[in-house]
Amino acid sequence: MRKLSSALIASTLALAAALPVHAETKIEVLHHWVSESEVAALNTIREALATKGYGWQDSAVGGMSGGNMQQALRSRLAAGNPPGAMQFIGWEGIDWSKEGVMRDLNDLDKANGWQATIAPQVLPFVKNGDDLIAVPINMHRQNWVWANKAAFDKAGIEQPKTWADLIADGDKLRAAGIIPLAIGDEPWQIQVVFDALVSDIGGPDFYRKALVDLDPEALNSDTMKQVFDTLRQVRGLVDDGFNGRDWAVATGMVIDGQAAMQVMGDWAKGEFLAKGLKPGSDFLCFATPSETPSFQFVIDSFGVFKVSDPEVSKAQVALAEVVMDPKVQHDFNLIKGSIPARTDLGVDDFDDCAKKGFEERATAIENNAMLGGATHGFAAQPQFSAVFSDVAAQFFVNEMSSEDAMQLLVDGIDNAR
Amino acid sequence: MARKKSIADRFADWLPRLVLAPSLLAVIVGVYLFIAWTGWISVSSSKMVPQYDFVGLEQYYRLWATPRWHTAVANLFIFSALFLAVTIAVGLIMAILLDQNIRAEGALRAVYLYPMALSFIVTGTAWKWILNPNLGIQKVVNGLGWESFVFNWITQPDFAIYTIVIAAVWQSSGFAMAIFLAGLRGIDNSVIKAAQIEGASLPRIYASIIVPMLRPAFLSVIVLLSYISIKNFDLVLAMTNGGPGSATEVPSTFMFSSVFRRNQMGVGAASAIMMLMTVAAIIIPYLYSELKEGRDGH
Repeated sequence: MRKLSSALIASTLALAAALPVHAETKIEVLHHWVSESEVAALNTIREALATKGYGWQDSAVGGMSGGNMQQALRSRLAAGNPPGAMQFIGWEGIDWSKEGVMRDLNDLDKANGWQATIAPQVLPFVKNGDDLIAVPINMHRQNWVWANKAAFDKAGIEQPKTWADLIADGDKLRAAGIIPLAIGDEPWQIQVVFDALVSDIGGPDFYRKALVDLDPEALNSDTMKQVFDTLRQVRGLVDDGFNGRDWAVATGMVIDGQAAMQVMGDWAKGEFLAKGLKPGSDFLCFATPSETPSFQFVIDSFGVFKVSDPEVSKAQVALAEVVMDPKVQHDFNLIKGSIPARTDLGVDDFDDCAKKGFEERATAIENNAMLGGATHGFAAQPQFSAVFSDVAAQFFVNEMSSEDAMQLLVDGIDNAR
Repeated sequence: MARKKSIADRFADWLPRLVLAPSLLAVIVGVYLFIAWTGWISVSSSKMVPQYDFVGLEQYYRLWATPRWHTAVANLFIFSALFLAVTIAVGLIMAILLDQNIRAEGALRAVYLYPMALSFIVTGTAWKWILNPNLGIQKVVNGLGWESFVFNWITQPDFAIYTIVIAAVWQSSGFAMAIFLAGLRGIDNSVIKAAQIEGASLPRIYASIIVPMLRPAFLSVIVLLSYISIKNFDLVLAMTNGGPGSATEVPSTFMFSSVFRRNQMGVGAASAIMMLMTVAAIIIPYLYSELKEGRDGH
């Protein structure tokens, strides 16, 4: 017996001695950014982290809008081997925090006054109770219309002021041989339009009641009927070949003038800029038309997991500092096409669309018209938000009455509770 | 012969068991243990992460109250029935035709078998474009002058599932053909000659003698195609991603999105168990009758 245990000790010691000594601590970051501009934007974080003496171990899991990444994370956590940090969208960070696997960043927050620089409407997505558990790097706006200037000129139309205008413009555009609206049949693309309509027609308070509080009365109201009626009219603006069309392909149709408009978040802007087009002269960007304009935000944030390795733990602090660093936020967003999550930064050298977004965000914060983009998980929990995308998409592609759609919403939400 | 067995003999006795043990263990853990685990999750309140409590059949109620699940189940039956029937019919006809001692049989066989070398992702993406009214068949026919020609099934919620059948048949009928062809080659020529001497016509020979003799080939084809149709996931994902709306949702895509995108792990597990039950209800009686007859026959 003694022989055995001493043999064990000896082999353990040998193992420990054989472990390589790291010259540089690396922090593993799980994220789903794999496209060219996304990777280029990430490099700004990676470089800033390197100047602090820490390495970035890339762990990109693309695909399924982050669905694949969630799968990867679950198996990592189940094996007791969480990554150092992870990119979060929607409620993911809060949900994991409630499972007790996230490390809080309260000390850093107190020392640096981070919370004051974050829009109050965003805080619920990075704070679990009193604990700051994630740091936001950027802010996208979901409810933009991207338009081809030449197509507008050809059809003789101006920027529409209401959805009724926009729909009426459809006839003029068709007469000019242009598809009025480019979209794909993926449920989330249709839900982007739906989200926009809910606050554009019902106003920000109705949006919160329907998409955040899931109030059955709001879901079954005349306003909601109007939303679906309008969505039906929007369907008329779309061409036949919209099945399986990627959002970027739809953006491409606007870029080459085949289609006039696309309702999409500002990740679409990168496609225009990459083709060398200029905002204002070549393409137009404006918020979805409404008398009650809103800013539907989508943020990416980084959270850190509880880890036992003290070196990784230090690297996590460094990562959080880098993410909230004003210069990093500026450089990152210049490439990514979004605007900084920090509201206290200048955006003078950003493009006109970003400036417009930055200004309209300030107005929206004042008017309490900052809304989480439901499509991307910033309103209700995913099991509820998925009901909206199911119903909106089914309504869009089928012959379905607005009343039936509302009933499906109420039943679906009820069932998911 | 009371000689004690030598070590080598004993080893030889144990060898098959030893060799089989790891794979048996892997199957027990990797398949049956996880089936049991999934069953457990399906009666728990699991949402984002597994919860080990018991809520009875709540998740099953929830599952059956979800319209998307009804679509998925209906699609599974439509898809499986059509896919099996058409693939078997096409495969059998191709095999019989190829079996007529035609020229360049080897080359033709390769041509028909080739789609099987593609992954479903490739097949799905290609067919997505072929069937897209603005890019594929419809556009070509319209361009040839037949302007009123419409073939936009893939955009029609009521017809989209049939486009998936088309793509799946295209991919798999060569495979069915190969198995049937092997079966046909295994049939003794003298049987056919005898029937011809009796004056039976060729169609009659095929219908009454040869096709019934292909029974083992049918068994393989049916089992293999059924499991392709149940695990059908990548093809739907690549072709329609469950759309338009959720018209082409199938149980496997439903399960994936429940667990990994909608925080409804319990519902996802319940749907997995429902799939397992359905498969078992169909396959077990079939296998049982086929294998039993096989035993009785010999």
